[in-house]
Amino acid sequence: MNHVIVVDLGYGDAGKGTVVDWLCSPLGSSFGGEPVRTVVRFNGGGQAGHNVLTADGRHHTFAQFGSGTFWPGVRTFLSRFMLVDPLALAAEAAHLAAVGVPGALGRLAVDADAPLTTPYHRAANRARELARGRDRHGSCGMGIGETASYALGFPADAPRAGDCAAPRVLARKLRLLRDRLGDELGPLDAPPVADLCEAYRAFATAVAVVDSGYLAGVLRRGRVVFEGAQGVLLDEWRGFHPYTTWSTTTFANAETLLAEAGFSGMRLGVVRSYLTRHGPGPFVTEDPTLELPEPHNRRGDWQGAFRVGHFDAVALRYAVSVAGGVDALAVTHLDTVARRPVRVCDRYLVDGRRVERLDPGPERDLDYQSRLTGMLLRARPSYSDLGGDWPGVIEAALGAPVALLSRGPTAAGKRAALLSRRAA
Amino acid sequence: MGSGLWSTDVYDAAARFRDATGASAFGYSDGGASSVHPSLDPHGVTVRESRDCAEHPQSLAIAVLFDVTGSMRHVPRELQAKLPQLLGLLLRKGYVAHPQIMFGAIGDATCDRAPLQVGQFESDNRMDDDLGHILLEGGGGGQKTESYELALYFMARHTAIDCYQKRGRRGYLFIIGDEMAYPRVKAGEVRAVIGDGPQADLPLAAVVAETTRCWDTYYVLPSAAYHAGDSEVLGQWRGLLGQNVIELADTNAVCEIIALTIGLGEGVIGLAEGLEDLADVGSTAGPAVSAALAAIGGTRLELAAAPGDLDGTSGNIRL
Repeated sequence: MNHVIVVDLGYGDAGKGTVVDWLCSPLGSSFGGEPVRTVVRFNGGGQAGHNVLTADGRHHTFAQFGSGTFWPGVRTFLSRFMLVDPLALAAEAAHLAAVGVPGALGRLAVDADAPLTTPYHRAANRARELARGRDRHGSCGMGIGETASYALGFPADAPRAGDCAAPRVLARKLRLLRDRLGDELGPLDAPPVADLCEAYRAFATAVAVVDSGYLAGVLRRGRVVFEGAQGVLLDEWRGFHPYTTWSTTTFANAETLLAEAGFSGMRLGVVRSYLTRHGPGPFVTEDPTLELPEPHNRRGDWQGAFRVGHFDAVALRYAVSVAGGVDALAVTHLDTVARRPVRVCDRYLVDGRRVERLDPGPERDLDYQSRLTGMLLRARPSYSDLGGDWPGVIEAALGAPVALLSRGPTAAGKRAALLSRRAA
Repeated sequence: MGSGLWSTDVYDAAARFRDATGASAFGYSDGGASSVHPSLDPHGVTVRESRDCAEHPQSLAIAVLFDVTGSMRHVPRELQAKLPQLLGLLLRKGYVAHPQIMFGAIGDATCDRAPLQVGQFESDNRMDDDLGHILLEGGGGGQKTESYELALYFMARHTAIDCYQKRGRRGYLFIIGDEMAYPRVKAGEVRAVIGDGPQADLPLAAVVAETTRCWDTYYVLPSAAYHAGDSEVLGQWRGLLGQNVIELADTNAVCEIIALTIGLGEGVIGLAEGLEDLADVGSTAGPAVSAALAAIGGTRLELAAAPGDLDGTSGNIRL
């Protein structure tokens, strides 16, 4: 079975949604031989924003549903590595219904062990970000970090999807959560426990909450795409600390899930043909004069500005390296760079030295990651003209074959590079 | 990074989830499918297993098979929407600690494309997938008979359940329908539908006897079906299953009927307590359940017959 893991090598927004949508389309089966049955989320939570545009002009920003949901029969599984926000799922399903995809909740299964993001986490997140003032970390304000840290700190008390059908257990956990966060941050602006319990119980009735054996069956029955959230350069351990996310954004979680069921998957790294970043943090090749069109990524109230810059081969080589290598690359937004003065940064100048590679540090060494951040903030880009076509440039820069080219926002704008080259 | 685009209003969410409930149950048939979903195809199945595991150490097998032929009219669709609540009902009141539920469907082997559909024993919401995949064929012949005997044969010879094999406790089998079984299990039909099979046809009574050895078997006849109250139909099933024939006035009460029958059978509740439990969880099915179960009343004894101990005539083993 050709299961595929899709991971963004940059700071997010590379176009994972549109790549997953293509893989799930009839065209995408040319890539793996058979239709995709299920999309699995394996990191992050409801803060993901994966935009998909259909050929007939419908648009949806996928936050928790898999980005293959526009295709009939493609299901979503939220694994235990995903932080599930049931309330946002309801609104997302309602929008999907409005764009012609009714019954999305009926195609959703959630691991009973997945931690829940609740309004209490969200209120705590916002209280903390406001207190940080100008030193904000670029959090989405959705409570993802609070959810992850609470689940780490109090694993037995963290509300989980499986608790939703057990109102007493859930109410106890929610009260404990509200009181602990409230003791630390003051009264939280969030609805009462009883009202949350009622909504969560309705969630457990509308959605399949499954135990640990579910995914193995899914992997046996059909082809699966693992859809990553955010990007490797934001990884909690390998990103540029402290401008990171509370999530493992590499292939690791997906490979854990696959290995538990005795499977493996193809590692597909997604890059734009230029680079973008939401909010603060290092961005060596940033160039505000580029003026690239960005219809679906706006300034988030809690994340700060959407930034654009040139293709950064140094940072992306680092991403490939800390992700443990990629089997192939998907390159998106080729239509955009075709008409713009986008360049390739192949080395940095840092304190008068030339830097072509960022060395991955020891595992889980945030001091090292902080020093890396300091170095990147002092680095200046050095651009070189590598020549050749963009896919070729990117293959050479990152040392992996380009398997998918995207020249437009819909599935029709994409094709499998290896196949098309063979045909040509 | 993301957007936090979708509203997290708790009251909107609750309302939307309530609206969505049950929507998943119709997927397969409404998608235009015209053959048995692969996950429910009995062909080539050696056994459907209900096994103990770390998460569910004292499993109890429960199977619910319903007639999906035309005479049942809208009943199968109602069952498909209603049955996802069964697991919650059993767990909420503690009737069963570790139920493993299998759903399936019965058609007519002489003329249907889907004479038998059988899911897996599941202990979580995955059973709803099976339910959603059941093809509601609406076919069947006009002779007041459907292939119930084929379903009984499958349950007798193609299931393996730990509650019986390890603990001598029979599972629960509910057949919801409105017609009679054919008088013989035909060897040719077994070969065509299930794949292996007996050399010769088997008499219905023998197959029922074999089934009831490890399955406490109930026949439920909903009054909304075409043959409701038909004395010939009721007569055949009472002859086969004795008092385990339930006439149900309200199709909406099917989960409650099954849950209370199991609660009674497990000796966890009496009928009065069970009806209180229903009121307690906000069910309005009390009167229908009360009327239907009055005939059953008592409780089932703890131990089923040991394998091999067989009462041939009624097929209804009670120690």
